[in-house]
Amino acid sequence: MKLRSSMVIAACAAALAAAPAWAQFKPTKPVEFIVHTGPGGGADVLARFIAQVVEKENLAPVRFQVNNKSGGGGLTAMAYVAEKKGDTHAIAVFTGNWLTNPLTRAEAKYTVKDMTPVARLVLEPALVAVKGDAPYKTLKDFIEAAKKAPGTMKQSGGSITSRDNVVRQLLMKESGSSWAYISFPGGGERIAALLGGHVNMMVVEPQEAGEHIKAGNMRVIAQVSDKRLAGFPNVPTIKEAGYDIPNVPQVRGIVMPAGVAPDVLAYYEDLFLRITKTATWRKYLEEQQFEDGYMKSAELTKFFDVYSDQMRGILKEAGAKVVR
Amino acid sequence: MAQAKWMKGDVVSGAVLAALGVYIVSEAWRWDYSTAEGPGPGFFPLWYGIAMVVLSLVLVLSSAFSATAGKTTDWGGIGRALTVWAAFALAIVLMKLIGFLTALALLTLFVVAVLYGRPLKVALAAAIGNAAGFYLVFGLALQLDLPAGPLGF
Amino acid sequence: MEVLTSLGHGFAVAFAPLNLFWCFVGVFLGTVVGVLPGLGPAATIAMLLPLTFSMPPTTAVIMLAGIYYGAKYGGSTTAILLNVPGESASVVTCLDGYQMARKGRAGAALGIAAISSFIAGTVGVIGLMLLAPPLAKFGLSFSSPEYFALMAMGLAMVVLLAGASMVKALLAMLVGLWIASMGIDLFSDASRFTFGQSELLDGVDFVIVAIGVFALGEVFGNMEKRGEGTMLPVPKGLRNLLPTMAELKACRFAFLNGSIIGFIIGVLPGAGSTVASFISYGIEKAVSKHPEKFGTGVPEGVAAPEGANNSETGGAMVPLLTLGIPGSGTTAILLAAFILWGLRPGPLMIQDNPELFWGLIASMYVGNIMLLVLNLPLIPLFAQILKLREYFLYPIIFGISIVGVYSVSGSLFDCWLLAVFGLLGYVMRRLDYPSAPLILGLVLGDSMERALRQSLMMSQGDLGILVSRPISAVMLLLTIALLFLPLFRKANAWRIKAIEENG
Repeated sequence: MKLRSSMVIAACAAALAAAPAWAQFKPTKPVEFIVHTGPGGGADVLARFIAQVVEKENLAPVRFQVNNKSGGGGLTAMAYVAEKKGDTHAIAVFTGNWLTNPLTRAEAKYTVKDMTPVARLVLEPALVAVKGDAPYKTLKDFIEAAKKAPGTMKQSGGSITSRDNVVRQLLMKESGSSWAYISFPGGGERIAALLGGHVNMMVVEPQEAGEHIKAGNMRVIAQVSDKRLAGFPNVPTIKEAGYDIPNVPQVRGIVMPAGVAPDVLAYYEDLFLRITKTATWRKYLEEQQFEDGYMKSAELTKFFDVYSDQMRGILKEAGAKVVR
Repeated sequence: MAQAKWMKGDVVSGAVLAALGVYIVSEAWRWDYSTAEGPGPGFFPLWYGIAMVVLSLVLVLSSAFSATAGKTTDWGGIGRALTVWAAFALAIVLMKLIGFLTALALLTLFVVAVLYGRPLKVALAAAIGNAAGFYLVFGLALQLDLPAGPLGF
Repeated sequence: MEVLTSLGHGFAVAFAPLNLFWCFVGVFLGTVVGVLPGLGPAATIAMLLPLTFSMPPTTAVIMLAGIYYGAKYGGSTTAILLNVPGESASVVTCLDGYQMARKGRAGAALGIAAISSFIAGTVGVIGLMLLAPPLAKFGLSFSSPEYFALMAMGLAMVVLLAGASMVKALLAMLVGLWIASMGIDLFSDASRFTFGQSELLDGVDFVIVAIGVFALGEVFGNMEKRGEGTMLPVPKGLRNLLPTMAELKACRFAFLNGSIIGFIIGVLPGAGSTVASFISYGIEKAVSKHPEKFGTGVPEGVAAPEGANNSETGGAMVPLLTLGIPGSGTTAILLAAFILWGLRPGPLMIQDNPELFWGLIASMYVGNIMLLVLNLPLIPLFAQILKLREYFLYPIIFGISIVGVYSVSGSLFDCWLLAVFGLLGYVMRRLDYPSAPLILGLVLGDSMERALRQSLMMSQGDLGILVSRPISAVMLLLTIALLFLPLFRKANAWRIKAIEENG
């Protein structure tokens, strides 16, 4: 009797141990691909591009269906993902906002801790730009000008928790200068304010600025990046320009609901690794001037902690109310 | 008569708006009126909140002391309208549980059969027809993702 | 001359059978999504984007742009027939369009909307073709003080939208301002009036308020009585389906006004078509010989906002194509599409990609004609919905309202908000509060607060920045003039009365 039951247990244990080998997860119905922006937003464009790569290169047996859960400054989509606990057919694009927004918003019910990190995909570098006919040729010129006439220089940007403002805060602290920060809701308005001469400087994404630089309407004075971008070999990074501030990457990647089995996570982890290996993906990165930021789930989990801690400190200094 | 005067819609709605104005001002008070960078989040709400309090008091006073009696109120009609509203709100609550199409069919059934007193046959046909129409146009042709019930529709 | 040669090449591109076909598909789809509330042009373009990757870029751009301006044509249909604004800019069309329909002139209102859309759409393209580079510069000269003055001018339109009681109109506008400030404050990241609900952090979507207050408020009001007939009189015979010569003549100035205002405001990246339609409606009413009739169903009240809404498209294309700056959600996704194809709109686009630029412009002329031809015969078809008995029609309006709101965000919370605003709309109607000022405050409040705070940040708190810049000073003067208009009119009425009595 005793022997038999222990044999059953042994058999079960063997079966369990062997499980991952034969119970290889494969999606059986369309995978819901959640994004926190409306159609046309940055995360939405990325998700639709990935869905298209998956379909074209035949990387998965099912379709990826983009679902826009906009609203709540991204919190709606986060809550939607977190509440899908255990769902093996749902993934979502996360951005830096998913990490910073819960820090300042008391309304947030969930953080990325309530989700399963799958993969980090891209890092978006940025450029510090001034108007084409502005007298500032280098970052130092601009900062010296700001020091000479405090309060008169202006930068256009997004909300105060955005990278634009984080870079400004770090630069102002490092150099002991100060300039105003004017918030605009849309990227188009920020550029229009610079080109119209209403502000003096902005932090801009390379692909947004490309045509303006080519036409001579905009001049790049520094890059917000660890190393120089291929498209701008002659422009120094902020560090090279003489200001030793930590790099603030804009990050995008994939998370999924918590409570999924290891084989499910392994499936998606592997799928995104294969996506990043395709030629289409490489070309996309190059065209968008993104950096390849691929990271596996385990590394990404650590990255989330490090990034959140860094942002918490920066936001506190920037004067935002940090609630967690 | 005196009571009717104070129950006039303008007086009541003016009082409600005055209360809303006070709430807005009290909230705005807690936020920064101005910051080192410029006007703060409390700047704009404070001013329109004050304007709301002032204007609503003007409305209350001018209608409370005006001689003209209010129109006679058709309470039956208001009751009907509020019933429809309640049914509409209930349909939205139910939508999560039984799906959009079923909730819409029930709402249609209620409107046609109960509020308009049509025969049940007509009401049922309208309910099913309406739900089917919405399924064809929005679900099938436009592939919109509408809330579904346990049966998948 | 150079323009004509280039345009000739453009027409050669636009008339290529493939391009002609996809242009038609685009404007057709645009009309469809414009008629149905909720599913807007931005979402449609995003969904169809993958389909276009197999097309040549010019063809794809022609089709997607067709969706964009086609949607504007369709938006007026439900606004006129059901008081349901099909998209945000058609709110203003509800004011007189629905009232025309109540008088049995639904067909005429739809016809005027289509004709005005055609004229203004074409004027917008002409403006885009001839004036793009200089106008782009003009758009850039607009800074926050100018936007503040523009929004203040828009808000002053409230004196024109007021009904019997100016106090009530102002209160409705203030409630609109309050709703507009719900959500996260861009400048401080503080959340305002969210009641701890994360769903309110992005504020309340304008479509929810507009559908709730206009469409549902109207239906609840109508249902106080158990009507046995149809909701609105059904237009009978061809004569009642088309606008009369007298109506078209009354709209002469409105066609021009809508075309020009819409185009100019379209060029400004920080404004938008809803602002354009409100302002052109206000101008139309301010210069009208019978301003008191506005809001009771005058054809000019349909022609002006519909025109502005459509020529705004041509205007919005100016910063998009020549600067790569999008002014709205839809142009933002068009820009994203351009970039995905490797086309880079910007200062060099006209030189680098003449085929695309001129082909697109020529296709917009062609597309506008297609839309007119497509929309006029649809009028009798759409008017059929008015034949439905009240008790069949109301549940359909309920369904359309819910779908319209739900499809924007996919959120049930928004549907509950819809019910709340439906109730608000009913109560306002019951107590004679006009609903247009509420929408006006909601549309302009956010931009106005933002522009004011930006201006004061730029000037370090000096209010002088608002009046020291010529464009903004002129607009603020106009605003003040507008605010005193009712007083002037009153004085004038007294004077006329006095003259009549004495003489």
